Amino acid sequence: MDELKEIAPKLSKIKKEQPFGVPDHYFDDFSARLQMKLEAEKRIIPNQQNRIIQFLKPALGLAASFALIFMLVYWPLKSFTPTEVVNNINTENGIPDSEYRSMVEGIDENSFYTLLDEPAQTAEISDDDLLNYLSANVSDYDIYLGTEN
Amino acid sequence: MDNDDRQIIADLKQDNKRDLAFHQLVKKYQERLYWHIRKIVMSHEDADDVLQNTFIKVWKSIDRFREESSLYTWLYRIATNESLTFLNSNKRRSFMPLNDVSDYLMKNLMSDPYFEGETIQFKLQEAILKLPDKQRTVFNMKYFDEMKYDDMSKILDTSVGALKASYHHAVKKIEEYLKNTD
Repeated sequence: MDELKEIAPKLSKIKKEQPFGVPDHYFDDFSARLQMKLEAEKRIIPNQQNRIIQFLKPALGLAASFALIFMLVYWPLKSFTPTEVVNNINTENGIPDSEYRSMVEGIDENSFYTLLDEPAQTAEISDDDLLNYLSANVSDYDIYLGTEN
Repeated sequence: MDNDDRQIIADLKQDNKRDLAFHQLVKKYQERLYWHIRKIVMSHEDADDVLQNTFIKVWKSIDRFREESSLYTWLYRIATNESLTFLNSNKRRSFMPLNDVSDYLMKNLMSDPYFEGETIQFKLQEAILKLPDKQRTVFNMKYFDEMKYDDMSKILDTSVGALKASYHHAVKKIEEYLKNTD
């Protein structure tokens, strides 16, 4: 105190008192008000833990929609389409790729180009050839049944 | 640490006694902490907000209290940090240059209906507000609260030597201000 008088005579003359006041009953009510704020805080804390779930919700929703579409469209289509059709699509009219490759490899280069230059033969079957084929392989009764439908 | 505080801390760490122990802690320290905060933030409204935030922080972090320091020192440390953080966030929010902080606090003081001091007290507060935040806190703790330097050192995490120097400079500045405004 003496030191204060020495280095700050003006300050040491001022009465050391609290110049501030508080509203009436402030300290009586403080605890109750704090309790209310604390209760609100306690409710916020669990909500914060759910924040990650809230953040991921749209992404999870989108993933679930894709899964649903897959289940309703792709899976039934795959399950109910006849296997034969699927195989035919995959092997291009029943001839697998490996067979094509061995056929092409068996033809020498000159024959290959000759084949490419030749016009298609399939369209030039004469009426006589067709009649001969039918009379040898199909009976009159089969032809009658075929024309009835 | 006194036995009362030891009991409060022990009860705070038990779920079934926690609420009652916290209520006891608030009742015991609310007034001392309020005045400490009020001298830093000046207005009653701000002091009330900071005091509530201080106790909420105490509630949330009581499990981390290691009992190396006294309960009273730990509470003061939280209250001081909360008050200084409050002032800094106000500065940032209003883009206030450092020199204007004392003007802002002075305005707070002048408009505060709960300031009851005489003219000389008002002048003293004006002089104190000219000090930087931390030096002002040191001055208030030593001059008004008559706190020991050792306790202040634990609360403010500053060496006793630095605190003594800070207080000495603060007293000199205040004296100078009082002389110049006579």
